[in-house]
Amino acid sequence: MFEYIVSALTPLNVMLAVFGVAAGTVIGSIPGLTATMAVAVLVPLTFTMAPDSALILMGAIYTGAIYGGAYAAILLNTPGTPSAIATTFDGFPMAKRGDGDLAVSVACLASVFGGLVGALALLLLAPPLAQAALAFGPVEYFWLAIFGLSLIAALSTGDFLKGMIGACFGLLIAMIGVSETSAEVRFTFGSTVLLGGIETVSALIGLYCIPVLIDLVATPNRHLDAPEQTRGFRLPEAFGMLLRNKFNVLRSSVIGTMVGALPGAGGSIAGLVAYSEARRGNKGEPEYGKGNPGGIIATESANNATVGGGFIPTLVLGIPGTPPDAVILGALLVQGVRTGPALFDQGADIVYTFIFGLLLATILMLPVGLLIGRFAYGAIVRAPKSALVPIVAFMTVIGSFAIRNSVSDIAIMITLGVIGWVAAKRGFSASPIVLGLILGRIAEQGFVQTWTIGDAIGNLWGQFFGRPISMVIIALTLLSFLYPFWPQIKRLVSRSTTDTVIDRDPAPTPAVIRDLAAFVIFGAIALIVISQSAGLNPDAAVFPRTIAIGMLCLVVLSIVKLFLTRHVTELQVEGSRLRMIAVPMLMFGAVALIPVLGFEISALLLGVALVFPSQHDSFTPRGWFYLLLGVIVTILSVTLLFGRVLGVPLP
Amino acid sequence: MTIRKTILAAALAALAGSASANDFPPGSVDYIIPFGPGGESDITARFQQPFFQDLFGEQLVVSYQPGGGGAVGWSQLNGLADDGTKIMGINLPHIVIKPEQGDVGFTTEDIAAVYWFHYTPDAIVVKADSDFQTLQDLIDFAKENPRQVIFSGSGKGTANHLAQVQFDDLADIETTYVAFKGTGAAVTALLGNQVTAEWGYTTVGAAQGDAVRMLAVAMEERHPAFPDVPTFKELGFDMVSGAYRGVAVPNSASEEVRQQVADAIATINADAAFQQQMIDGGFALVDVGYGPDMDAFMAEKAEGYIAAARSAEIID
Repeated sequence: MFEYIVSALTPLNVMLAVFGVAAGTVIGSIPGLTATMAVAVLVPLTFTMAPDSALILMGAIYTGAIYGGAYAAILLNTPGTPSAIATTFDGFPMAKRGDGDLAVSVACLASVFGGLVGALALLLLAPPLAQAALAFGPVEYFWLAIFGLSLIAALSTGDFLKGMIGACFGLLIAMIGVSETSAEVRFTFGSTVLLGGIETVSALIGLYCIPVLIDLVATPNRHLDAPEQTRGFRLPEAFGMLLRNKFNVLRSSVIGTMVGALPGAGGSIAGLVAYSEARRGNKGEPEYGKGNPGGIIATESANNATVGGGFIPTLVLGIPGTPPDAVILGALLVQGVRTGPALFDQGADIVYTFIFGLLLATILMLPVGLLIGRFAYGAIVRAPKSALVPIVAFMTVIGSFAIRNSVSDIAIMITLGVIGWVAAKRGFSASPIVLGLILGRIAEQGFVQTWTIGDAIGNLWGQFFGRPISMVIIALTLLSFLYPFWPQIKRLVSRSTTDTVIDRDPAPTPAVIRDLAAFVIFGAIALIVISQSAGLNPDAAVFPRTIAIGMLCLVVLSIVKLFLTRHVTELQVEGSRLRMIAVPMLMFGAVALIPVLGFEISALLLGVALVFPSQHDSFTPRGWFYLLLGVIVTILSVTLLFGRVLGVPLP
Repeated sequence: MTIRKTILAAALAALAGSASANDFPPGSVDYIIPFGPGGESDITARFQQPFFQDLFGEQLVVSYQPGGGGAVGWSQLNGLADDGTKIMGINLPHIVIKPEQGDVGFTTEDIAAVYWFHYTPDAIVVKADSDFQTLQDLIDFAKENPRQVIFSGSGKGTANHLAQVQFDDLADIETTYVAFKGTGAAVTALLGNQVTAEWGYTTVGAAQGDAVRMLAVAMEERHPAFPDVPTFKELGFDMVSGAYRGVAVPNSASEEVRQQVADAIATINADAAFQQQMIDGGFALVDVGYGPDMDAFMAEKAEGYIAAARSAEIID
């Protein structure tokens, strides 16, 4: 064992690990740049340099990227990677109240801890954990996805029904394109643009980031409250929080490792499950979702634990846990490494060196991550709004393009962003939609597979509800769904005389009409899906039709409730309408110009144009010059990074 | 002396210059895989990568463009640069079946296939501890218990799925097919006892080793890596099938570029070390190059796949 530690610790390898973690953190922090892309670009290095060094570099980039996803989640409310979705729930509220620096440090500590747990599990427990993961069949994946959805109950505290409708909407847009389970083309309305479905990462960018941008330009308020003086890393505070959450961080790391070991589940589910469990255990203040660091700790420790966890099935069974694992598996195969249970017994040197390299990279993430985190925080907090908006908007454009080199994905991203903004103002928050979108495909596959098997053996109910692991997940799901309503339930059970109906003033008629319009639109979407499903084969139709019928019921229920209570959950629209509209319009304009002017020119025009709607203070000519120069230089250098270093073919 | 040297250098430079005008590759080559990483298409592209680099001194950059079961990539293929710097992985039966299922943004004729370099033969795989020792055991069980043999497999309308339909027909049995997302998920289901058997590829036998047993492979002759596994033909079922993988260029590419790309892939395919790596991985090499061979091959395959897909009721 010792010799592997020594071979992992050569100066070159340590240097590569530092570089890898740093590069990975930056890549992960930019929504749209994924660890998969970065690792895939590096594979040829394994042919020219020592393979173990190249593998350490890839592992370091991967683990850094999963941590880096937290920055954008905390500072911009936009998960840099899907793994960091649940980081936004508490990270952004923390940043809003001026604790962004603390949130970033907490995320770093939690990521390092989770990463270490995952890597140690890979080192010591890989074969038994891989066998345990095999006990998860289609039905367990289905219930796991539903468990992830149960968070909706918590995320839509304002209006549970609206949260559920949003989730159904997310589930339905996940069904667009060629169906995974039946190979049939669905809900594309004849458009080849929608053939490949809604790309998850670009949808995330749209739904989370565009509303932030629109709200940013509307008012002169600062994006995040800035501290009066720099406060360093706030490490003692962060450590204190981790200590107070010691059970949380341990449980979340274990959850992350286990979910990571399930092929195809991945960091986003791990983070959501860990978050859900942590929230239920929380007794302190503030609540989860309102800026409790426990939420960041749960998500970030869980998602970094999936890095080590994901390598378990990759190395033991030859079945990649996540897409970056798949790329690294390919590199190992080229090296002639044969994965399988024998790998750990016979001790293939390269694999052990790789695992120790992963541990090394995780430890190095502490100093590297803290430093970069501080820089990221400083940059976002100090940047003037009129620089922040154009640059972030440009990042959303290039990021959603880069995922699969598709210009139409940019347009879809902006469209979803506008939908997300309008919906959020009407009380349909983005998170349930995103959960539906992320979990929809996994849920559908599990559902159709379970259905097919259950139908064949003539025991549909037994397949869905009778398997031991499923029953545990179902129980946890019920707990998670009902937990937010626990106070009301307790009151009902104890037959307390206090009125359970929350007394609120009835909403004015225009607000009721606005809500009614929203419900009618969602109802119409459900009806369209139901009518479209009629022409599909049963495998392709069963899941979307079921969801659409459920959505229709929720819509009817909501309308009834609206008329009975006249209670409306909505957010006030503040600030200049013109500036708000300008953001998506300018972005759509830039997308339309890409085929004519090329990517660079369109991006530069977009950047310069967006300076104006986001500009609230008056500037000296000198100020203008530096502002525009900064925006242009940033856009050009990021374009170069994507085009040249990462090989993204920009149009 | 110096003059002669200069002339020589000039002559050499001129030669190099004229040669580079139509040399392949013109620079680093982007090799786009229209699927995610980890599947057979990705693994074999990765196998080719170092050989390409050794042969041509240029990078072969593998990237992924997943979506729509390959349709996202293939529908964009013809918009790419046609100078030989962009090539894309193609798969059979996908490029034949997909366009038959509706408008997927490309037709089979749109795709300028220049080489098919290997295929993964279909195979029935069971776990090592399965009661089915032979193919006959499975058939006997299936005859007595219709639909109770449950196969996992990669996708619908794929080689695995068409093989299941074809074999049910040949053996006069009724089995159940459950589609999973890719071979990885189908194998996971097999190893976890979620299904009775898998309609997989010979590559599964290579990757899983002693953990699984292949009952038969759909090849003309036995696979060199599995001399003990019979072919379906030997056992009396006329079945040679699998998923073919190849390389295409944008259809605006010149005859010269098409031939050059085909030659490059052929050269790699002829390398003994590459062949050994492919065989160890459970792949079966084929060499269908650009030209009349390609047309005949595509016509024959298209006919077979479409017939199988019709009987599987995947297409009308």
